[in-house]
Amino acid sequence: MLKPLSSDRWNFSTAAHLLNRAGFGGSPADIQALCDLGPDKAVSHLLDYEYIHDPTTDPDWAKPNPEEVQRFRDGIRNATTPEEKKKLQQEQQQLIQRRMQELRGWWLQRMARGPRPFQEKMVLFWHGHFATSVEKVRNPYYMWRQNELFRRLATGNWQQLLTDAGQDPAMLVWLDQAQSRKDHPNENFAREVMELFALGEGHYTEHDIAEAARALTGWSLEPQEQKYIYRPRIHDDSDKTIFGQTGNFDGEQFIAMIVAQPQSAKFITAKTWNYFSGSVPSPELSNALAVNFRANGNIFKPFLRAMFRSEEFYAPDIVRNQVKSPVQWLINSVRVLECDLPPTLVSWGMLRQLGQDIFAPPNVKGWDGGVTWITTNSLLTRYNDAQALVEGQLPPLTAGDFARKAGGGGGDKAMKAMQRMRLGGVNVEKILTPEERADKASIVAALEHRLFQTSLKSDQEQTLREFLDSKTKMSNADIVTTVRLMMSTPDYQVT
Amino acid sequence: MKNEITLQTRREFLRRTVLGSSLAWTMPMFLSNTFTALQAEAADSAIQTPTGKDATILVVLQMAGGNDGLNTVVPYANDFYHKARPKIGLKADDVLKINGDIGLHGSMKGFKSLYDAGQLSVIQGVGYPNPNRSHFRSTEIWQTASDSNRVEKYGWVGRYFDSACAGADPTVGVVIGNQLPQSFFAAKPKGIVFNNPQNYRFMANGAATEESYKKLNELEMSSPLPDGGPSMSADDNANSGGSIAMLPAGMPMTGGRAIDFISRTALDAQHSSDEVRAIAAKVQNTAVYPGSQLGGSLKMVAKLIGGGLPTRIYYVSQGGYDTHTNQVNSQQRLLGDLGDSVKAFTDDMKAQGNMGRVLVMTFSEFGRRVSENANGGTDHGAAAPMFIIGNKVKAGLLGHYPSLAPADLFQGDVKYNVDFRSVYAGVLENWLKTKSAPILGKQFAPLPVV
Repeated sequence: MLKPLSSDRWNFSTAAHLLNRAGFGGSPADIQALCDLGPDKAVSHLLDYEYIHDPTTDPDWAKPNPEEVQRFRDGIRNATTPEEKKKLQQEQQQLIQRRMQELRGWWLQRMARGPRPFQEKMVLFWHGHFATSVEKVRNPYYMWRQNELFRRLATGNWQQLLTDAGQDPAMLVWLDQAQSRKDHPNENFAREVMELFALGEGHYTEHDIAEAARALTGWSLEPQEQKYIYRPRIHDDSDKTIFGQTGNFDGEQFIAMIVAQPQSAKFITAKTWNYFSGSVPSPELSNALAVNFRANGNIFKPFLRAMFRSEEFYAPDIVRNQVKSPVQWLINSVRVLECDLPPTLVSWGMLRQLGQDIFAPPNVKGWDGGVTWITTNSLLTRYNDAQALVEGQLPPLTAGDFARKAGGGGGDKAMKAMQRMRLGGVNVEKILTPEERADKASIVAALEHRLFQTSLKSDQEQTLREFLDSKTKMSNADIVTTVRLMMSTPDYQVT
Repeated sequence: MKNEITLQTRREFLRRTVLGSSLAWTMPMFLSNTFTALQAEAADSAIQTPTGKDATILVVLQMAGGNDGLNTVVPYANDFYHKARPKIGLKADDVLKINGDIGLHGSMKGFKSLYDAGQLSVIQGVGYPNPNRSHFRSTEIWQTASDSNRVEKYGWVGRYFDSACAGADPTVGVVIGNQLPQSFFAAKPKGIVFNNPQNYRFMANGAATEESYKKLNELEMSSPLPDGGPSMSADDNANSGGSIAMLPAGMPMTGGRAIDFISRTALDAQHSSDEVRAIAAKVQNTAVYPGSQLGGSLKMVAKLIGGGLPTRIYYVSQGGYDTHTNQVNSQQRLLGDLGDSVKAFTDDMKAQGNMGRVLVMTFSEFGRRVSENANGGTDHGAAAPMFIIGNKVKAGLLGHYPSLAPADLFQGDVKYNVDFRSVYAGVLENWLKTKSAPILGKQFAPLPVV
């Protein structure tokens, strides 16, 4: 188990698989560069991202702002007329919407263009794992902060991540820990940290939850300074019995007790494997993953290195057998087509439409993922969004849809603005060399290589060649349509 | 039999063969075997294969967010009610009286007229043991018909398709919306999802593009289709072992290769989109629907029924019932929309001559707390009423109104007296004419809803 992939199996295809899964894929040149490094250095190039400078700067509002908090709070509280109150609430609402939009674009750009794709892929993993939604948190600064926490501890220590994620303001609000008091403890976080974040159902009792909730009292939020605070006066410091052990435990100790359960390593490594491989590990593999993780001191980086180097990760039932999530679909498309990420309003519209509204997972379980991404509707939507992406223009119906959802009211003005929005579109001369453009067979072959890193079935290839044949005078637009057709296949939805 | 053929479409093929015409084409042997097995399965199944013209139809209507049952079917003469709800309680004048004790919310004129016509039954106090107050968990319980301490992968509608509709057309289930509800999750998933028929198509910039898209998405399975193909389950996957339990519930995996599942969905999308758009363009609604999302969804369902789509279960939803603050106005709007939309739908069904075939069933994941909160709203609760609408319903009041006496409440919530799964059992057995125990996991006494 977890035997390193032998170096004679390292080639363009395996390198492509690594980049697709540990990152968001890339152009043939990106893959070739990774391939040339050899397996050890290739994995290291992705995982040891600390050595790569990331020039991204924080949004200018991404810091505590006690004055602003106070201005809205006092203003709304002391408003003399309902109109005044309403106006302030609207102003606050608009501020939230504007900043969230900026935040979505900020993160999507890091995924699409940033120099550390693996780190961003981990951030996406933790976002789906500690699934926290702005719908309840309603605070862009908290959402940004949590996103940064996932980035900072992306491949770090499991116990520290669980503790810090639990004490982060977004989570304190999301699972009501900030409301928990000694005299009536709130069990929400206590339950979910065991059920969904670290152990899984069946590995704790209802009594453990009630007791853990008491241990966690005192974890609180300082709303003006917008940070975690420990409040000893609301902490219950009598004895608790958790997992059969009795003592005057606090929240940190409870988290340490979770991590000490062998099940914890099993749970989180199986979920990590599932995220990157697209499959559920066999019991033997699951054990091996957990053993490796614990041997590495419950630190993710060395465990992930072993995983990405392992033979198992490159098995035939793993490669090209994962359904791309909407984020993977979008970011991967932008990377392989070497085009610009659409304007945030459009990218967001697409992701919402396809069922993955980042910063707003449907519930604390996160996105179900896998084949649940695919319905008759979402599949046709992917095919049509592909058209918008490659041709660079939104069809009127889609524009109207996005305009309505973005809160533009669906009026003519919002829709026209949306329609005027230019997407990057595909530049044929950038993705095909003059030699590749020389004849139809080589166009199809080169695009297959770029989009799938493998061949389509021969009747699909023939269909594409026939499509180009049907054009008496083949133009770049026809090649763009060929790209769109390739993206409008079941094959393009997997990676 | 030759070995090579052009199989026009799976749907056309299924329709012809299932309906008994002889095999018109030859085909690769593995496909032919699959289809033969499939036909045999269909012949054995509990239902007659729907043809779109005669079978009964169920419309499931989800009221998402947890509708406040007490202000929907209102105990306007009850002192406990007014004591618990000094601000938002509805007075005798605010309701459409059903009897001396209870009445429908004043905005539900549509429902009242159906009630008076003997076409609406109100099932009072519906819930389940050990109620859960989390939206997602309680929704999951309703969608999977599970006990509250069990997590099920598949939905009750999906299990109905698995158990009673083998070999049926993919349009046997139709969801108007963006996502497949968990109730449709199945070992062999069926059903199409779409929102707007205008968008439910491949948008092509020319005939050649469209033609190529069809070819690229036709019959490109790496293993036999459709019921022998991939599933949403990890059960048949030798790799899955017992480890599925460690993953969060509701994370289905493919048994076969992911691409087989997608290919099948692509085929369903391609054929149903042509059909749906043809019907949408052809069939006219005679009733006037509210301009709401629900109104639009039911309007679409009416068209599809009128157009003869062989659907047994339609699924529509209406959101916004999570009324923690300022409940009065928002619930007024929602219930008015509900009543008017359903009334328009039934008018349409009558005009089409299809009213006798259609049953509408509403549900919400929970009712709300008896006592109002400090913000003019109500918090998550437990039992609440369900509505069943149709020509053949057992009209009137079913179950009994839960007691509001503080001593009879559980943690501030009313207690259920009808298990929602008895309602499902009644609908499955008496309306869809199939055994309910294999679908619901055990035998619930079917509530005689029709």
